[in-house]
Amino acid sequence: MTAPLTPVCGPPLLPLGFGRLVLFPSHNQQARVLLGFPWLLLLSFLGYLIVCLHDPIALYRFKMSMSFPNIRDLLASFSPSLDFFAISSGDGRIKIWDTIKGQLQTEFSDIAPSDASSLLSQRKNGHLSLDYTCMKWVQLEKKRKKKPGNSILVLGTGNGDVLALDVSAGQLRWKVSDCHPGGVTAVSYSMLRRYVYTTGVDGMVCQIDTSTGSILGRFRAFTKPISSVSVSADGKILATAAGQLKTFNCSDNKKIQKFPGHPVAVRCMIFSEDGQYIVTSGVGERHVAIWKVGGGKKQSAICILSMDHPAIFLDCKKLDNDGKDGEGLSVLAISEMGVCYFWYGSSIEELGNCQPTRISVFLESKKKFDVAIYSAKLLDVPKPASGQVFVAYGSLVKPSFQKLLVQYGVDIKLGDFKGGVLIPIDSFSISQKGQTMDMKETVTALDRANAEDAILPVPKLYAQDKKRKHNVTKLITDIKNVEVDPIINKNKARSAHRKVVLQRMEEDGTICIEDRLKALGIVTEKVDLRTKDHASSPTNTVLDIYSGRKISVDVNMPPKKIRAHILSMSSIDACKSLEVLISALKKSSVSSKHIFPWIYYILVNHGQFIISQDSSVQMLDSLHKMIKLKCAAIEPLLKLSGRFQLIMTQIDKAAGMKASMDERHGEGDKMLDEDEDIVDAEEDDDEDEEIDEMVYGEDESSSDEDDQHQT
Amino acid sequence: MIPGGQSLVSSPPVFSHDGKKLLVCTGCTVSIFSTSTGMKITELEGGHTDRVTSVVVVPVAAPSSKFISYCWTSSIDGTICYWDFSVPELIKKVKVQLPIHSMVIPNISCTPIGSSEKTSNHYAFISVEDPTISADENKAFRGQIQIYNLTKSRRVRGLLAETRKPELLSVSKNGEFLGITNKRKLDIWKIPSNDFRIEEIKKIKLHHTKKLTALAFHPKLRMVAGGDVTGRILMWIGFGRRKFSGDSQATNKKKNLTDEEKPGVRNNDDADSCSTWHWHPSEIKFLSFSSDGAYLYSGGKEGVIVVWQIDTGKKKFKPRLGSPLLYFTESPDPSLSCVTCADNHIHLLKMPTMEITKSIAGIKLPFSYPVGHKGLCTQVAYDETAGLIAVLTEDYCVQFFSLFDNHEVSQVQVCKRNFQPVDDVTLYVALVSVSLDGSLMGTVDVKIPEDGLGGLVSLKFWMRGSRIAEYSLSTVIYEPHSDAEISSLAFRPGHCMAVTSSFGGDFKIWIHNLGIKLNDQLHQKTGWRCQSVGSYKGRPMTAAAFSADGSVLAIAAESVVTLWDPDSNVLVAVIGDTHSPITSLSFIGNSEYLVSLTGGSTPQLAVLTTSKLRLSWSYKLVAEALSSSRDTSQFSVLVLLNSQCGIEKENGVILLFDVEDPVPVATWMVKKAKGGSLAFVPANPSFDEIKAMDGEKPSLLVYVNGDHEYIIFDPHNMDNRIGKSSRTSQIALEEAGMFGYASIYGDLSNLNPKQDQVPEITFAPSERPWETIFNGSSHALPPLTKLCSTFLASLIEKKPSMNE
Repeated sequence: MTAPLTPVCGPPLLPLGFGRLVLFPSHNQQARVLLGFPWLLLLSFLGYLIVCLHDPIALYRFKMSMSFPNIRDLLASFSPSLDFFAISSGDGRIKIWDTIKGQLQTEFSDIAPSDASSLLSQRKNGHLSLDYTCMKWVQLEKKRKKKPGNSILVLGTGNGDVLALDVSAGQLRWKVSDCHPGGVTAVSYSMLRRYVYTTGVDGMVCQIDTSTGSILGRFRAFTKPISSVSVSADGKILATAAGQLKTFNCSDNKKIQKFPGHPVAVRCMIFSEDGQYIVTSGVGERHVAIWKVGGGKKQSAICILSMDHPAIFLDCKKLDNDGKDGEGLSVLAISEMGVCYFWYGSSIEELGNCQPTRISVFLESKKKFDVAIYSAKLLDVPKPASGQVFVAYGSLVKPSFQKLLVQYGVDIKLGDFKGGVLIPIDSFSISQKGQTMDMKETVTALDRANAEDAILPVPKLYAQDKKRKHNVTKLITDIKNVEVDPIINKNKARSAHRKVVLQRMEEDGTICIEDRLKALGIVTEKVDLRTKDHASSPTNTVLDIYSGRKISVDVNMPPKKIRAHILSMSSIDACKSLEVLISALKKSSVSSKHIFPWIYYILVNHGQFIISQDSSVQMLDSLHKMIKLKCAAIEPLLKLSGRFQLIMTQIDKAAGMKASMDERHGEGDKMLDEDEDIVDAEEDDDEDEEIDEMVYGEDESSSDEDDQHQT
Repeated sequence: MIPGGQSLVSSPPVFSHDGKKLLVCTGCTVSIFSTSTGMKITELEGGHTDRVTSVVVVPVAAPSSKFISYCWTSSIDGTICYWDFSVPELIKKVKVQLPIHSMVIPNISCTPIGSSEKTSNHYAFISVEDPTISADENKAFRGQIQIYNLTKSRRVRGLLAETRKPELLSVSKNGEFLGITNKRKLDIWKIPSNDFRIEEIKKIKLHHTKKLTALAFHPKLRMVAGGDVTGRILMWIGFGRRKFSGDSQATNKKKNLTDEEKPGVRNNDDADSCSTWHWHPSEIKFLSFSSDGAYLYSGGKEGVIVVWQIDTGKKKFKPRLGSPLLYFTESPDPSLSCVTCADNHIHLLKMPTMEITKSIAGIKLPFSYPVGHKGLCTQVAYDETAGLIAVLTEDYCVQFFSLFDNHEVSQVQVCKRNFQPVDDVTLYVALVSVSLDGSLMGTVDVKIPEDGLGGLVSLKFWMRGSRIAEYSLSTVIYEPHSDAEISSLAFRPGHCMAVTSSFGGDFKIWIHNLGIKLNDQLHQKTGWRCQSVGSYKGRPMTAAAFSADGSVLAIAAESVVTLWDPDSNVLVAVIGDTHSPITSLSFIGNSEYLVSLTGGSTPQLAVLTTSKLRLSWSYKLVAEALSSSRDTSQFSVLVLLNSQCGIEKENGVILLFDVEDPVPVATWMVKKAKGGSLAFVPANPSFDEIKAMDGEKPSLLVYVNGDHEYIIFDPHNMDNRIGKSSRTSQIALEEAGMFGYASIYGDLSNLNPKQDQVPEITFAPSERPWETIFNGSSHALPPLTKLCSTFLASLIEKKPSMNE
């Protein structure tokens, strides 16, 4: 291989400024990309030694030092549905990673053809004989349903063969031997068409059927080796590039346009989704160029995006929600150093002026991992100046996969695993946008006494000024039973700070219920009531209507009868009769002693329906107020009766007339019971005790006073 | 509509003739996996509408026809299909009408495809169920073994046998013998190779003293192995020499032999000898001879494959498979076989060494909680943002399963303990909950006390790592509520806060300390700690939920809902009064409404408003699960249908409600609703099919049934429902068919049963009561006595009697 070689392309400088990249056409019409002079410098600075051997040509690449990530020779591709990621690091092995699990799914090292009986494929020695030069995951059919086996991995080799790998079945689907003598350089496919285009160093473009692997057609695009190929999304235009760019019509393979292109070989080239632009990057060139399709014959790049290192991967996406054409382009590029660049511009001019947003892998200083971003895919542009990017990053041993929302202008640093590469560890780092939070977490254990410093609910007395309860029995209980329910108005509690209002009993000043009702506006003057439309005794008639039977409310009835009557009524009738009863109560046209059992049974039996009625809220409110006032009145009455009793006992004691005392005491009890019946039929026994205690407490004090007076 | 979560283990898998593919019955489809990568290649769909029960691969003879791959499948829907599974394509369909539980084609191996022989008729022996005979009759023969001529698609007249229930058929490798286990005996038929007349098929019985559960024929010798419930393996050698030989002379000669010359054979059975092997402590699930006939594989509940060398009886073991075993399948490739585990895994084994090369993992199947478990029976939680379902497993793990991709993502081991399937259950994971953004997970595991001692409830909080569904333990809290069991666990949206409610009558709010970087001595206090404790009248707390903005905490204290301020631990309000304990509670989106489910004797679905603190509307429905949408005011309820008919016991209805309106927006009928659950998940944007399906509405509804099979569908897309109705019958959920509202309620759709209207309700008993129950809301159902008379009577009569 020491035949005189003539450089074809100029020597662009590599990142470190050493070495040259030269294209040599060899004696047998084959060309090799070779890293030239001087060997030792290349060894030490680039980490690669490439040796050209005789036929069959194989490239042995020695990875030398790992001082910085070098991902130039890496082939990486996401599956169309993004659930798998294929990566080949140039040693003839293809690893398939499951992006959801983050685990290695399978590995292809030596692909045996599915048809073992064919004699055409002689066994090569080991995986090193397969030298992959390009890789593309091709979706076979555009189907709505995500189906396994619907995609193949198309690979080009340095021998000039094109292979299609059925990844899910784990076998070779088809193989085109010696498709491009000298080596395949690029693969491209369109979603709409059922074939792939491959290009080789022989300057030919080959069209291959994806399902069978038969060559449908081939034509010469360049006399020089083609370095990149791309098909537009609609499958109509094919772009090929060596240094120059040429576009072809796919249907008749006629040349459409020619661009000056790059002075070096084009490394990657893609069409924008609508086929309006071609985005390219050259080998070793630290910029990305954008070309407009369909302009004049010879056009220069309309936009140059500069990078710190040469790009090895490109993706671009147009903003969908923008109505106008040619606007809102997002471009994604990955540099040789494994840093992802993201540009966004609402127009091409703006795109040319903007600074890239970088996504890089956060490298911890003490660990020398070979970490980089290997591949990325722009998924979606939810809104202007942002993009959803699916990236594969981390170390080659175990890449990680993440979906990122990139906001233009905000650099992202991805965290990597802290401990081992493969060993799951308890301590971990949480990577978040823009920052990494390191939390060396040890497991905390709490024992039974886990609530020592916890806040306890404080049983305080809260007023329930505006509170409405849907259940009238509970409502009454709450008034008496505030110690149990710490209740605060909901609105107050929502305004974060606690506001504790102590329950205050109604002042003892006024006892007359009627006055207070009047003051609250519940009971208006009796004159007004009489002028109302209601007949003299509306309750009876109403109940008659709804029940169909003649039952008088005025008559003292046994509770069982009332209950049976109420139960026979429908909810709506009950609701209406409740209305009538309450109005009767307001007017005190019927004795409250008789009305209250009716109201009670209606509420108990039809309570849920009545509460659900919006109109009943006011009614219940007024009933509530009335009963509250009555309750307030009862207490002084009880006090009075208690004092009365005490005085009577004292009188009786003094007189020695015990029999009469018993009688009166019994009367007092009866009265008390009646009151309670009216107010709250469901009152618990302990509440009774409370009342009694209160009464006697008062009595004691008053009796003391009395005693003092007597003495 | 995306189905998923199918069981891989409902029927034994089958290898293709070249051993490169594995055909697995997954619901009403057959999935084909590659044995080299363990990935799914394709699926046979469109043929069956119900569960596929068996697959028979047609053998090939000549190497020229290597690429031809055909198979027969049978299904519960009563059809037998013939497929070309390399394409995949349905070729032929034979209707049987009766549900097929098992199918074998004994003479299929005699006439492989591609051989020069003229193909004779294929006869399928099918084990069918006669649905006309009800299961209640004890002595009824529900199962039948019938013969079908597949070539002519015609049934051969006559029944081979009748069994109590449909039995699994086994066939010898050369297709000469067919056998079933029939209680304490094996029934074996000798099948003539060609002419089929049912009278000519001879039958022998081999008796045993225990119930037999598995059988296998030796590939070469006249030997049959049977396994029983106690774990014994019986080997009958030389069975059927008398009867199957057909030679009456020989029969007479053999009869002269005394029983002593037939060691181990009972009841003068037709076998030369019978030997017994015993290693398994429990029921034998499978028996399988190796293809060369030198070894017998057996396995059962204890999860160990035992390899018996038939000559010597020496044993080799493949332990630590971690789950009860169900089936063992040998491939034509002698270096490959597969074992099916009860936890929905299929392991491909490299043969002489029996090392697992690949595993095909399905969603973990539900397990039964031990007696005494009080809490909810749902064993799933959802990471809604990532589209994952978290499933509790029997082996103390939480399995994360990707709903959209239909495969396992990860497993988090909750308790560091080795799971032994045969041991008594002493520990189980009772509860799992994942926060809305998926960054936090909480689990509750319960150690069952032995003789009242040593019980332990522990609550664990986990934090997610850098990947989805990768969690590491943050805090363990032992006995978070003393001895009481935890009824529910909920995370506060947008905060590092969680609440646990217990049956012991209190709830605790846990927070995560974040200010650890401030000073180093606080290192001890990192992790979660209890912020506050609350209780309400000492009642058991049965459910807990945070509102969507996290500002209100709702706790169900048995029958009432208490609303709390989670920061200051102040009781804000009390709503509702149900008759039975509330089992589930959820806020609806960002609205002020709250839904509660009540179980017990008086089930209720109630919608409460927090703004008015009252009941908005309610239904008397037995609801199994509840899920509310995050962004809309809709919620869905899974309702169990209490039909009297035994077969439809597990059927249910998914109702989609809008909170303002008690009339359901949409209704779907589903099967296996018991133990099911529902969730709203946002559509995954990276999947084209969903984009095409729902357009702008991003929220999809997931229904997971009692067997952890699930379906994802768009609840708003009526077109989808109607357009796909032809397909619904094929999906794995076995939906009886989806109906739009109009098709169910038809004439009722223009009736508007608002509460202010007078509901016109007829109380004529309907044959389908759940349809008429929505005629009006349950408040207005007049005679309340009809609905719950006993309860009301007890409520009302108590007090008056006391007062009197």
